[in-house]
Amino acid sequence: MRQMPMRLGPRPHELIDRDSRFTFTWNGASYPAYRGDTITSALAAAGVRVFSRSLKYHRRRGLLTADFNDPGCLVEVDGEPNVRGSHRLVEPGMAVRAQNAWPSLRHDVKAVNQLVGRFLPVGFYYKTFIAPRRLWPLYERVLRRFSPGGPVPSPDARGRYDQRYAHPDVVVAGGGPAGLAAAVAAAAAGAAVLLVEENHRLGGHLRWSDPLALGPLLDAVVARPNIEVLTDAVVTGRYDGNWLAILHRGAPGVVERLVKVRAAQLVVAPGLIERPYVFAGNDLPGVMLSTAARRLLNLYAVRPGRRAVVFTANADGDAAAAELVAAGVDVAKVVDARAGGDIVRAHGRGRVRAVECADGSTVDCDLLVTAAGWTAPTALLSQAGDRPTFHEGAARFVPSAQLPDGVLATGGIAGDGSLAELLAHAEAVGMVAARRAGFGTTAVPIPELPIEPHPALFRSSTHGIVDFSEDVSSKDLAAAVDEGYDSIELAKRYTTATMGPAQGRLEAVNAIAVVAAATGRGIAATGTTTARPPYVPVSLGALAGRRYQRVRHTPMHSWHERHGATPLVAGTWIRPDHYGDPAAEVLAVRNGVGIIDVTPLGKFELRGPDVVRLLEQVYVNRWAKLAVGSVRYGVMCAEDGVVLDDGVTGRLGEDRYLMTTTSTGAAAVERWLQWWLQVQRPDWQVRVTPMTDAYASINVAGPHSRALVARLTDVDLDRQSFRYLQVRTGPVAGVAGCVLWRIGFTGELSYELHVPAGYGLAVWERLLERGADLGVRPFGVEAQRILRLEKGHLIVGQDTDGLTQAHGAGLSWAVKADKDDFAGKPELGWQRDRGGYPRLVGLQPVDGTVVPTESSQIVEASPQGRRIVGRVTSSRMSPTLGRSICLGYVAPHLAAAGTRVTVRLPDGREIPATVTPQSAHVDPDGTRLHA
Amino acid sequence: MGMALRYRQRSSRRRPARYSAMSLVRHGLSGAAWPRVWRHHELRPGYDVVIVGGGVHGLATAYYLAANHGTTNVAVLERGYLGGGGSGRNTAIIRSNYLTPEGVRFYDRSVHLYSTLAADLNFNVMFSRRGHLTLAHSDSALRTMRWRAEVNKLHGVDSEVVDPAEVAALAPRLDTSANTRYPILGGLYHPPGGIIRHDAVVWGYARAADAHGVHLHQGTEVVGIDVAGGAIRGVRTNRGSIATPVVVNCTAGWSSLVSELAGVRLPITTLPLQAAVTEPVRPFLDTVVVSGTLHVYVSQTDRGELVFGAAVDPYPSYSTRGSLEFTEGVATNVLELMPSLASLRVLRQWAGLCDMTPDYSPIMGRTPVDGFYLDVGWGTYGFKAGPVAGETMAELVATGSTPDLIAGFDLARFAEGRMVGERGAAAVGH
Amino acid sequence: MILLPCPHCGPRNTDEFSHHGEHGERPDADRVTARQWRSYLYLRRNQAGWTTELWLHGAGCGRYVLFERHTVTNEVRAAHSTGGR
Repeated sequence: MRQMPMRLGPRPHELIDRDSRFTFTWNGASYPAYRGDTITSALAAAGVRVFSRSLKYHRRRGLLTADFNDPGCLVEVDGEPNVRGSHRLVEPGMAVRAQNAWPSLRHDVKAVNQLVGRFLPVGFYYKTFIAPRRLWPLYERVLRRFSPGGPVPSPDARGRYDQRYAHPDVVVAGGGPAGLAAAVAAAAAGAAVLLVEENHRLGGHLRWSDPLALGPLLDAVVARPNIEVLTDAVVTGRYDGNWLAILHRGAPGVVERLVKVRAAQLVVAPGLIERPYVFAGNDLPGVMLSTAARRLLNLYAVRPGRRAVVFTANADGDAAAAELVAAGVDVAKVVDARAGGDIVRAHGRGRVRAVECADGSTVDCDLLVTAAGWTAPTALLSQAGDRPTFHEGAARFVPSAQLPDGVLATGGIAGDGSLAELLAHAEAVGMVAARRAGFGTTAVPIPELPIEPHPALFRSSTHGIVDFSEDVSSKDLAAAVDEGYDSIELAKRYTTATMGPAQGRLEAVNAIAVVAAATGRGIAATGTTTARPPYVPVSLGALAGRRYQRVRHTPMHSWHERHGATPLVAGTWIRPDHYGDPAAEVLAVRNGVGIIDVTPLGKFELRGPDVVRLLEQVYVNRWAKLAVGSVRYGVMCAEDGVVLDDGVTGRLGEDRYLMTTTSTGAAAVERWLQWWLQVQRPDWQVRVTPMTDAYASINVAGPHSRALVARLTDVDLDRQSFRYLQVRTGPVAGVAGCVLWRIGFTGELSYELHVPAGYGLAVWERLLERGADLGVRPFGVEAQRILRLEKGHLIVGQDTDGLTQAHGAGLSWAVKADKDDFAGKPELGWQRDRGGYPRLVGLQPVDGTVVPTESSQIVEASPQGRRIVGRVTSSRMSPTLGRSICLGYVAPHLAAAGTRVTVRLPDGREIPATVTPQSAHVDPDGTRLHA
Repeated sequence: MGMALRYRQRSSRRRPARYSAMSLVRHGLSGAAWPRVWRHHELRPGYDVVIVGGGVHGLATAYYLAANHGTTNVAVLERGYLGGGGSGRNTAIIRSNYLTPEGVRFYDRSVHLYSTLAADLNFNVMFSRRGHLTLAHSDSALRTMRWRAEVNKLHGVDSEVVDPAEVAALAPRLDTSANTRYPILGGLYHPPGGIIRHDAVVWGYARAADAHGVHLHQGTEVVGIDVAGGAIRGVRTNRGSIATPVVVNCTAGWSSLVSELAGVRLPITTLPLQAAVTEPVRPFLDTVVVSGTLHVYVSQTDRGELVFGAAVDPYPSYSTRGSLEFTEGVATNVLELMPSLASLRVLRQWAGLCDMTPDYSPIMGRTPVDGFYLDVGWGTYGFKAGPVAGETMAELVATGSTPDLIAGFDLARFAEGRMVGERGAAAVGH
Repeated sequence: MILLPCPHCGPRNTDEFSHHGEHGERPDADRVTARQWRSYLYLRRNQAGWTTELWLHGAGCGRYVLFERHTVTNEVRAAHSTGGR
């Protein structure tokens, strides 16, 4: 059983539970851990120092920050890639593996890169692999071998994710001392507060620096029922209107949860992030930040090393040195930057073994702790539109003096000072946030926080790693600048610095400092790269939540399913494509009677004295003389003349009309009608009621349709009383309020029944029951397509496209140019005059056994080979005629009846086809329709 | 109309260092610094041609003016950093599987130029031709795929309709079962398509243009365009004024505002187009996958990051701040296609600005103002056209005659009712 | 997700609305030349600033509404009902 040689005795405020000890595996070997350990704290306790290999040079990497951002500690956990090993808590039996090292972490073959490093400067791939071109795919395969990523999730991977809306008045991002104080103050004023903390516990740096001071703050939070606390959670995006995306990793029962909030006020209190120092060897295992050493010592009772050198420029570095001594670490040397000291180089291969200082001394050690300064994590403020400014004296960026509306900042990000001063500031900010959100009446001034001077320590006199994840050194950045990539944006893109997992949190300021020095422009003038959401990475699962996709079923859907219908996805609807034999369904309609569920048809009831005006406006044809009880086919065009939709509209009463549209066009037509009524003609009195879902619609078609419908209604169906293109209302199968009309999409005698939806299934079943002796059978969308094609009827959206205007679609007969203003009128006139547009015609392949694939092109010979002069838009084998039939577009010079055209099939064969005199292949005179 | 070369200046030509594996070895051994990729210049009082916009279009135009036509007294004015606009924000998809003969010819020329660009510019642009797959989830989408395939094949461009089994073989992670809300019925497979390193294209053109003596001015914003007697006289910038007879508007996102400075109004609406990238995982997706119905496209870089895009935002704006609705929508649609990827994490989102025209086609060529040329309206398809746009605009500006390839993209077409046929297409266009 | 202040329903999330273009006067189709008509159809101001535009509150009151929105910051400073009931 492995021991924990680096584990210390109990520490007063440690997070580990020594009563709960278990094992997990690291690269297949078993290691011990306590409940409360992170993956790296447990491994560090066991003496493990190396956790990964760097991206490009495959150098060994260890623990640097001991927090979420720790760049060398991305590991694979139970198949999950890119897990932050210094943040994720260990679980019993967890299987952890190193990423990006082969065959093992110890002996990584790709470490050969280090040897050839001088020949592989940053951006080297832009300068090579240029020729020969045919080898680029091979080079690419090699480059992909070096991809830094973790394993792809298994194809069966499924996890539970969800989303939630929360409605606090004030969101506090950060649960350190300032965040706690601000939350308590806002809650005390009456605001509902959501307090979001990145770590597993509240407290921020107080957890290890001053745990006693933490107690009362935590008690105050617990005492307020109007503070909701989320831990292992981060405000990861602040969007327009203070729309916040909060990633909650620690939600029980789900992998991740996205919490969405429209906050009246956002208080940003993320503290400060410690910044690494850039010097030769700064990425060796054993080199770490002072906050990392203190976290290990105080939270996890882990000794970070045996013999240390401490480089300090501030009180936190001093405290780290003292705590190391108290824990029994031999602190061999403390280099004080405030006294002019500096470290120059960390020596060692695979881990730090000695540190060379600026004063000439070299000290043996296995641990180098640096406290070189702080970076304000201003990304969330920048997302809100703030442009942080660089404070020269404090050597860090600070929020600007005027934050955007709805956003406040407190804690270390806003300034320095004693704990008491920071708490007083935070309390005032909390009260102001509450007040701005409408709670509390006292106007409280926010005290000024001092910003204390700090040595400007970015890079020593040697070059070292700036971006640990991307393996970009200060030398790389300086070289990029020298080469001409001399702005922070160009240098970033060329070197990929700040483009790794930390997205700049750890490395941006050092990168800026190096670029600023190389250009001579200074940090303030160099500026920053743009902070973008998410602040921390969010899973696709959490972003998608529990995915719901809308689907619409007709009342007869269950019947279709039970009777073997093949489903067709038609927009949001599921429709029956056929019931096993579409050709037989076609013949049943032509010879007997068939019924089809056409409920998805768009339907609108129009009422009011001005309905006719509306119809005249939106349709290209005339409506003024439409009598009560009559129906007309209409075409709608857009203002540019393009065919928008078609359908029939019937007049049911004096001021009552029923308009139908295509199923896919229904929503757009509704918006169109309302645009005319609300925006252009607000004086017209028309009421539009969508009826698509209110009516189930059934088309009963075929020579026996009259006989069948007559059995279900006492509406007079006599062929003289109820003619083609007329409408009646009355009961069907005992259901009142039905609409029946005679229209002719299929070209047969047919009645379209609109039945109140709740009775749709009953009427459907009745028809089938009562028509059994007539041979009634259901037919689906495929059969209907064949039937309408046999009659040459176009389908808007299939036989028309985004450019087809009415004349080209053969609808000139419908366009009544002498009408007053109607949608499309001027364009239709000009386009007709201009001519030259393709024409929709019926096409008959000479060989009737060949059914051209839809979208086959119509071609003619040209000097270059072939010129496209049209295409087939609809094509089927006609069961009625026993041969193939088509609709398609041809150039005007080919549109005359009888013209021979050439259709090029997808397999390259070219077959002849003839333009038919009219588009209807079956019953062109329409006798069956008028039966 | 030829070009009056009014400002004879001493040439700024120079020969840049040659990039190659040998040069890497030499520099590695000697430790010598690489020469600058492009130089900084003072603004001249006048140039023969001023190009507004330092993205791939502007830089390519400048390069071809110099390389193909010997016109080197050219200034490219970029208000930010080179390639900081659309060129730095797109998802770098290259393809030519368009709907119309004009479109196919045009984009195919661009693909051809891209295929030799690394050698031509001596800069590795990393064009990875791993194939482009557009999924069809309905029979109307399948019909449109077939339409595109047939037009492509007739013009010698490799595209073919594939069935669900072939789709599954091309992208094994896709859910091609019938159990999804929008089952995949097939797709349009275009082997010559792929992805490229978009920044490298910008840098390659910039370096080559600079070598020819073109002046690249970053941090230089055009604040006014001087027009007199219906012709261009010069431009005013934040760094001073320039006299010139020719101004080429190669901006994206700002084209309406720049054109307004010259008194030209455009049929353009600017909408954000957002994109996002995940953390890297081991390469598993070789093809670029696009779904028209789900309005999403996915590709994987050599580093292993997945790059996502979708359709433009639902309302116009000049904001590149991005929205949560975008990442939510894209995540939903990616997981519809590949449900096993739920644990992958989005690392960053961003947006660029797209100038949308009424017929999904660019506006290239002359304007009513003499000497003011447009290369705008590039919507969501601008980056893939960079080389051919540069080549044809350079030809127009240098010779005065409009190349056939772009004749249909003229500004006058809107007033004359001659829309380009690409509007017929359905899928999200990338 | 920005909020749009619907004059009928109060501030609602944008995903309840659809955008329908810059507001412009529809010319009299009978009196206009082709060039003028097509200017109405296609030309846009496309300003980076305050724009008056038409939206439809489809998932709410179903009314077309005019908003004055700043196309850079996405602030909305005014909302007007269109005519009609």
